[in-house]
Amino acid sequence: METMEEPPPAKSPDTQAQPSPDTTNEEPKASPPYIRVQDYCFWYGENQVLFDLNLDVQEKKVTALIGPSGCGKSTLLRNFNRMNDLVDDIRHKGDITIAGNSIYDPAVEIISLRKRVGMVFQKYNPFPKSIYENVIFSLRVAGRRNKAELDETVERSLKKAALWEEVKDRLHESALGLSGGQMQRLCIARAIANQPEILLMDEPCSALDPIATGKIEDLIDELRDQFTIIIVTHNMQQATRISDNTAFFYLGELIEYGETQQIFTNPKIKQTEDYVTGRFG
Amino acid sequence: MQILQKEIADFKNELLAMASHAEGAIVRAIKALLERDDKLAEQVKKDDYILDEFEISIDNEAIRLLSQAPLAKDLRMIVTGMKISNDLERIGDEAAKIAKCTLILNKEPNLKEYIDIPTMAERATEMLRDALDSFVQGDTEKARAVQPKDQLVNQINSQVHRELAGYIAESPVNISRSLSLMVVSKSLERIADHAKNIAEEAVYIHEGEDIRHSNGAKHTQ
Amino acid sequence: MNQSKKEIPAGEPLVWLTSMGLIIGVTMVLYLLWIITVNGVTVFWPKPVYEIQLKEDSTEHVGGAKNFFGVITMEREKLSAEISGEGNDSTQEYQFFTGNKDLYDFMYKFISKEQVEKMHKPEEVLVGERLEYGSALFLPVRLELPEGKMIEKSDGNFMATLQKYLKEGNHRREEFTSIEKKDIGKINAEMEKIRIRGLALEKEHGEKAEELPVFSKLMKRQEALEKEYIVLEEEAGKLREKQEEVLLVYHTAAGEENTLPVAHFTDIYAPNQFGMSDKAGFFVRKFWAFLSENPREANMEGGIFPAIFGTFVMTVLMSIAVMPFGVVAAIYLREYAKQGFMVRSVRIAVNNLAGVPSIVFGVFGLGFFVYLMGGTIDSIFFKDRLLDNTPTFGTGGILWASLTLALMTVPVVVVATEEALASVPRGVREASLACGASKWQTIQRIVLPASAPGILTGLILAMARGAGEVAPLMLVGVVKLAPDLPLDMMAPFLHMERKFMHLGFHIYDLGFQSPDSEAAKPMVFATTFLLILLVVVMNLFAILIRNHLRKKYSSAVF
Repeated sequence: METMEEPPPAKSPDTQAQPSPDTTNEEPKASPPYIRVQDYCFWYGENQVLFDLNLDVQEKKVTALIGPSGCGKSTLLRNFNRMNDLVDDIRHKGDITIAGNSIYDPAVEIISLRKRVGMVFQKYNPFPKSIYENVIFSLRVAGRRNKAELDETVERSLKKAALWEEVKDRLHESALGLSGGQMQRLCIARAIANQPEILLMDEPCSALDPIATGKIEDLIDELRDQFTIIIVTHNMQQATRISDNTAFFYLGELIEYGETQQIFTNPKIKQTEDYVTGRFG
Repeated sequence: MQILQKEIADFKNELLAMASHAEGAIVRAIKALLERDDKLAEQVKKDDYILDEFEISIDNEAIRLLSQAPLAKDLRMIVTGMKISNDLERIGDEAAKIAKCTLILNKEPNLKEYIDIPTMAERATEMLRDALDSFVQGDTEKARAVQPKDQLVNQINSQVHRELAGYIAESPVNISRSLSLMVVSKSLERIADHAKNIAEEAVYIHEGEDIRHSNGAKHTQ
Repeated sequence: MNQSKKEIPAGEPLVWLTSMGLIIGVTMVLYLLWIITVNGVTVFWPKPVYEIQLKEDSTEHVGGAKNFFGVITMEREKLSAEISGEGNDSTQEYQFFTGNKDLYDFMYKFISKEQVEKMHKPEEVLVGERLEYGSALFLPVRLELPEGKMIEKSDGNFMATLQKYLKEGNHRREEFTSIEKKDIGKINAEMEKIRIRGLALEKEHGEKAEELPVFSKLMKRQEALEKEYIVLEEEAGKLREKQEEVLLVYHTAAGEENTLPVAHFTDIYAPNQFGMSDKAGFFVRKFWAFLSENPREANMEGGIFPAIFGTFVMTVLMSIAVMPFGVVAAIYLREYAKQGFMVRSVRIAVNNLAGVPSIVFGVFGLGFFVYLMGGTIDSIFFKDRLLDNTPTFGTGGILWASLTLALMTVPVVVVATEEALASVPRGVREASLACGASKWQTIQRIVLPASAPGILTGLILAMARGAGEVAPLMLVGVVKLAPDLPLDMMAPFLHMERKFMHLGFHIYDLGFQSPDSEAAKPMVFATTFLLILLVVVMNLFAILIRNHLRKKYSSAVF
């Protein structure tokens, strides 16, 4: 993976980014930007998919990324923990910083980045291991072996994921015996086991029935004070239910970003209005 | 999403039909008063049920549309539409009240020449038309201009009350007609209020800004 | 009213055709297995012994006489009769097992049915399995014990006494065999080492060698060993002598007498007196002996234990060699290598390797492993033995044989492993990476366990192919008769340089290289049956493991 040359500029968390001319938005309620996307462009091979993105994600808030298929929201999400590095032949310009540190800093190991940034995928993907082993997987790969610590982590994470009561008697059974909704909650427990600061969720409910979806949404609501959550969703009602801020993307550009309530009751940009009311996309 | 758009358009049309009915009710009621037409007044009283039915129908339709979880302008349109239908129904009630008073007044000769009351009626009707226009066309300037006109109508109403109070003090034979005329004036003032509401609601639908209770000044958050 | 014709879905007749093909195939396999089983297993089932009386004017004779004991081993149309197409007594013939090769010079004889006057089953006839010349069919006369004592046949406890001495003889044989093989063998091995060392020293120092202190130490040790050797040899010799003490006198049906020490017999029994449970017991005993004993009489008699053992050890070594090699290669090809022209060509080359004839691998193994690598190892580590012209690793052995076969089966493992790795869904890999695992940790903890069933499938296929190949082995380490097992109690326990026996080669050897092909036929079938059984058992074992793993990791496709 080659990066276009530009050493990431030193960032102090207090400076506000200048809004780029394409997005007219009020800044969300004032609090220091925690994740900052700056003039960020991204290419798959020759194909540019993200154009000059500028976005400040607030700490300990839920930020929803919405937009029609192919607009780049999943791509952006996957760049926060550099999962796109798995693809050959990618490059980027601009920077993404977390608490002031660039994620592309060569001194930063991708593995330690991924320990701070957990991810939950669209299709639940528990490992073919026991429930216990699934939850503590990230601890095991980090080399932690203390059984008391592991047990405590399992209980804490499963409780936070609202799964503990349902599985506490069968921790050592295969995770593949759970229902779809339970498996997704297990994946969430797995993602938060190592106590990351940020949780990325890529359409976590799209493979679930409404009841399971409801449970996951309740879960996100409970977690919102402990993690910074970024969620990609196609379901706008879901975004209105659970997110604090919403960013609307179209064809790789950030069209509008603001408080969820404002975006969905009174969007300022016509494209946003058209998308939200279903006139396209 | 096409279904929802079509249904919202139908919803809007139904509101407009109701509005035109309400407007007609005012015009006819005032006409009945000025021309001392009992038959017309009876008609206005009877036709009030139409507006009641409209309100029920529109409210039910709005609930049904809300269950589809519309957003942004669609959401504002539907929620506010319910309020507008409520305002229009009240306007109808006021028009019926005027017709009732007309029937009582027609039992005696006119107390005096009617000058202020037709003025008020004209203003109120004008306000209602402007509000409905801006609802349909999205001309929020027009809607904003409705607010100050309401104050004018209020002033005329106060003036009419003072004048009629004088008539009552003058002679007991004037009491019945004066009281009825006071009610008519009050109804017209209320109609103007409702028209102002509709104008504010139109602004909310089109701009997303809530200008209620501000008398034209913008809200500070 | 017209019923509309029932619609046949398109292509349904083809389903019948394909199922017919399957049925034919399965039938052929079952028939083959049936033939092998029947022929192989009936070897151990006791057959009755007849006394056959030939016609007075018969042209045939057995040992100069017209009557003899025999077991019917085959009935068939004479070859000439098959051409003319008739079928009656004059055109059919028996094949008799006559035994007593030392007396008749043959053990099997074809006799036309019409030559036979009559046959009956004498109760008392005995079959005696011997160390040499196969079995004997006879009637006993008397036992001659040391100090001139005799026990006649008519004596009440004749059979009991005979069995007693037979058992003693077997035990004693075991004893002196053990002394000779184990104890004397150890001494021989050490003396061999000393001799080689001495040779080496002489080469190095020439005449002066004898003056070195280390040389005299060696000589002293050699003397001590020689003394021990003499003691043991005496002991063994005494036992051997004792074996010759008790003699059995017997005669054939025609009356010809012969005398043999009882200890030369391994088993004596009266087959015509067997009840059903006796026969069953006999069968089990013989089958077990077949599996556990060493061969006698140029592999035509006795057991095939060394061949079973050799096949098993070689297959295990081959599996140990091929698995890591193949799996690691597949992991690299699939996970780490940049997918491009190079990787594609390597993959094609590996796949083509599966089509190379196995004898070519044998030649390669001979040239590369035996001569090149073995020669190099010898010249570095076993120089001394080379002086004596006995190469250690520079000649065929179980190590080179296993490696050659491992090379031959590597493509199978590589392909199966690659497929299994590819079938692990991407989502699980991504989840692992998102949890902060490195690529290797992902492979080690998630991908490999999930693809274990598929990898085991590859191993099963590899084992099946490897256990059955014979041609390459002939060049790299299999022998007709191996003196030792590759795995025994002497350090270093696993002797990689030793030659070994192999079931497949044994079949070839019996069928085509034995001096008496008729006698070998039962062994051929029995060995074939056993080889199939061994491969099936090994495969079943691997399948069981795979099923267990599949349940555990139910996301695997294989």
